[in-house]
Amino acid sequence: MTGRQAPLLSIRDLKVVFPTPIGMVHAVDGVSFDLEAGQSMGIVGESGSGKTVTAKTLMNLLPSYALVDGSVNFDGRDLRALAAERKTEKHLWGVEISMVFQDPMTSLNPVKKVGEQIAESVRYHLGQTRTAARRQAGDLLEQVGIPEPGRRLDEYPHQLSGGLRQRVVIAAALACEPRILIADEPTTSLDVTVQKHILDLLDDLRTARGMAMILVTHDLGVVKGRTDEVMVMYAGRTMEEASTEAVFSQQGHPYTEALIETIPKINSASHTRLVPIPGQPPVTTSPPTGCPFADRCRYATDLCVAQDPPLTALGNGHHVACHTPVRTPAAKTALAANAARGHTATGLEIHQSGVPIGAVTGGLGEQT
Amino acid sequence: MRFWGLRVGMLIALLLAVSMFTFGAMNLLGDPLFNILGPVAGDTENPENLAKIEAAKEQFYLDRPLPERYVRWLGDFVTGDFGVRFSASGQPPVSEVIKERLPRTLALSGMAMTFTLAIGIPWGVWSGSTTKKGLDRLSTGVAFFLVSIPNFALGVVLLYAVGFRLGWMPVRFDAGDPFWQRMHQLVLPALTLALGGAAVYQRLLRTDMITTLQEDFILMARAKGLSRRHILFRHALRPSLFSVVTLFGINAGAVFGGALIVELIFGIPGIGSLFVESIFREDFPVVLALVMILTAGFVVMNFVVDVLYSIIDPRVRQ
Amino acid sequence: MKLTAEPPMDESSGAVKARRLGLGFWLPMGWIFLIVGVALLAPVLPLKDPTDYFIRPGERPPYPPSADHWFGTDQDARDMFSRIISGARVSLAVGFMTVTMSFIVGGTLGMVAGLVRGWFDRLASFLFLVVLSFPGIVLVILIIALIDRSVLTISVVLAIGGIAPVGRLARAATLSFAEREFVIAARTLGARNSRILFRELLPNVVIPMGALVLLGVAAAILAEGGLAFLGLSIEKGETWGKLIRNGSGSRVLRDSPWVAFGPITVMFLTLASINYIGDYLRDFFNVRETGLGQ
Repeated sequence: MTGRQAPLLSIRDLKVVFPTPIGMVHAVDGVSFDLEAGQSMGIVGESGSGKTVTAKTLMNLLPSYALVDGSVNFDGRDLRALAAERKTEKHLWGVEISMVFQDPMTSLNPVKKVGEQIAESVRYHLGQTRTAARRQAGDLLEQVGIPEPGRRLDEYPHQLSGGLRQRVVIAAALACEPRILIADEPTTSLDVTVQKHILDLLDDLRTARGMAMILVTHDLGVVKGRTDEVMVMYAGRTMEEASTEAVFSQQGHPYTEALIETIPKINSASHTRLVPIPGQPPVTTSPPTGCPFADRCRYATDLCVAQDPPLTALGNGHHVACHTPVRTPAAKTALAANAARGHTATGLEIHQSGVPIGAVTGGLGEQT
Repeated sequence: MRFWGLRVGMLIALLLAVSMFTFGAMNLLGDPLFNILGPVAGDTENPENLAKIEAAKEQFYLDRPLPERYVRWLGDFVTGDFGVRFSASGQPPVSEVIKERLPRTLALSGMAMTFTLAIGIPWGVWSGSTTKKGLDRLSTGVAFFLVSIPNFALGVVLLYAVGFRLGWMPVRFDAGDPFWQRMHQLVLPALTLALGGAAVYQRLLRTDMITTLQEDFILMARAKGLSRRHILFRHALRPSLFSVVTLFGINAGAVFGGALIVELIFGIPGIGSLFVESIFREDFPVVLALVMILTAGFVVMNFVVDVLYSIIDPRVRQ
Repeated sequence: MKLTAEPPMDESSGAVKARRLGLGFWLPMGWIFLIVGVALLAPVLPLKDPTDYFIRPGERPPYPPSADHWFGTDQDARDMFSRIISGARVSLAVGFMTVTMSFIVGGTLGMVAGLVRGWFDRLASFLFLVVLSFPGIVLVILIIALIDRSVLTISVVLAIGGIAPVGRLARAATLSFAEREFVIAARTLGARNSRILFRELLPNVVIPMGALVLLGVAAAILAEGGLAFLGLSIEKGETWGKLIRNGSGSRVLRDSPWVAFGPITVMFLTLASINYIGDYLRDFFNVRETGLGQ
């Protein structure tokens, strides 16, 4: 958003395909974005949107049978090439780019002490001695806000609560001072009260270290007010990309709009129904012609079914992949037409108020 | 502390039970006099034999009740007096013979167990993590072969193939040369003992590894950028440590038994072959002493394994 | 990174397996049928007499395999083929008898101990432990050395060695089931222990033990083989181990390996078949360890 210098991370047209018994799954289907140093970005999408696969690609954690195309550039280095020759680049992942996973209980080795799991990285990558590494692990525990860090070093993961465990995982990820931290659903497994603390912690650490961060989540509410930019993914593609404020105040893509509608609002009247998005994300064994969101979109037109919308710029770094971006005349016309006929171009039933019928009855249990 | 006291107490109780069982077996199954002296015992005509009989009765307190005999024998045994071999008169006491032969068997067993671990563990770790399916299938086949073939058959096969046909290893064990120079002669027999055990390790570790490598903490370790070897041996192997130690205990038992056979095939004059020879010669003081020693060794080994368990898994101590 | 952190794409072990037994089952099974059948029918088959000497004038035995002697002859010009078959009769007989005895006695002891608990359980467990403290062969050899050696006695002694592991397992299986509701229910309804044993526990304990039976037969054949190789098996007659021993002297082995390799091959095929079937069935039933472990 600011400097003229080259972005720290640059992804161009990334495609990841998995051969499976049921066909070729296009998990990521042409994703591009840039990340500046110190910038934080949220990647939001439902499960199956390709957000986790994207993160794993950046971390070189894909299975060996995955087929990758496109360019991934970190600080001028071609990450894909480096991943291929595993012998040369031993100190990139885990050092300059690091990752925090969703479930801290399973991410930590249950039979190893917590301190050891943090110290491991510095001893392996930076060659520190056991005592120096231990001291640093203690410091890290303190930085992530764990009380009595000295005692905790010798404890096992099962002796800590979920929130503390996730802090340990974060400490381990930060041990070698990465320039980018990728957090994949870091708070999904945690209690709601703890979630805020962890997210705040990540914010503080990020600003203190000038670290870039990619926050991968299915929950738009998590990124609100925390990230600089947001990229919304669906069916392996970018649907919308904008500054976080723009995404919330002037969302362009119908999917984003629907996602925002699903966030319960604290000050709405009690017993207000939650509004889910009807239908399921597609299994991308065969990328559909036309927009992948069309059969769940209330604005769907025949054009949407026929032609895959390209990612177009709306100005100010805001990009949308849609023929009928929200609040545009095209969208209003399309919605009115769909409401009048009772269904969209893809057959999705629309209530005359403009809300999809499935959204009223489907998804969250008894809705009547 | 109480934990250890209990364990050691159990150990001693076990050893005592074992000695009672052994002593009882020897003295109750058949006539003890006969067991000690052999055919001589029946010959009460010949005055020379009669003297031997009397001496035996004296030495082994055969006129006294069984429990007393047991206690006296136990006392002697524990102080290192294993008695004399009656069947071969004028021979050195049993303890001498045992002392001479024991190092060879220990060397053989030690080598075998080292080979087992050195071959079995890396092999198992490799098979559990490799992506080369063809090689993996081959190695599984080899492991299956080694597990199914009896150790004596394997010994014979190895002796023939490697010893006679290929001439790589010496075929006879030469008791003459200084001990250290003869170690290489033990390689083939040790391998015979070791390969079966190594295959068992391989089968176990392969399954364990495949399961463990799918765990999330392995993914996290990969995210940390640690090398494949580091992850395999420092993370993935940990949950299997328990099984490895258990196998070690079982393997030790198998090596004890297998040593008898292997010493016979390769002509190694160790405790094993002494045991078998003594059985044939009906030299029962030796048999008694050897059974006690071998069993005591085994019991102690199991105790060591238990100790290892509690070191690996601190939760066991509670 | 080439670590298989994800199961390979065509891994079929997790998928639903076809419920039909494949070649992997029938091939070894076929061998078992063959060897058992031939062993049983040996007296009526047109085989050469295993104790007869077939000396050819002018040639010193052992004679290599030929049309006349499929497996050759041994140093005394006795036909190896028929000797291997008569050895099979004994080795297999010992295997089955041993397993039958140790499972019946050990299983009963274990189940009763697991059900009744109290002093009986403590005594039985301690006895198991003592027996298990002896390295396997040593105990067996000790007892064998003191008695006559016939097929029956050898089987009995081997069975004694097997009672302890079987008993411990039966006890563990029984324990894990005895706590279950259906046993408690039966008790409250006033069922006597013996009834509980037979009707409730036996069927459930048999399943995990069943897996052991195959293993036990293989182990018994193996054990007898080892004893025979040491010269400590039955005094009269042949067993595979004895035959192998006969063929393992330095000169015989070097110059006429078939004397040893014939019985080795047959014995190996039999043991391998049993093991393979055991593995196969275990995968087939997907390692559902009812009552033991998770």
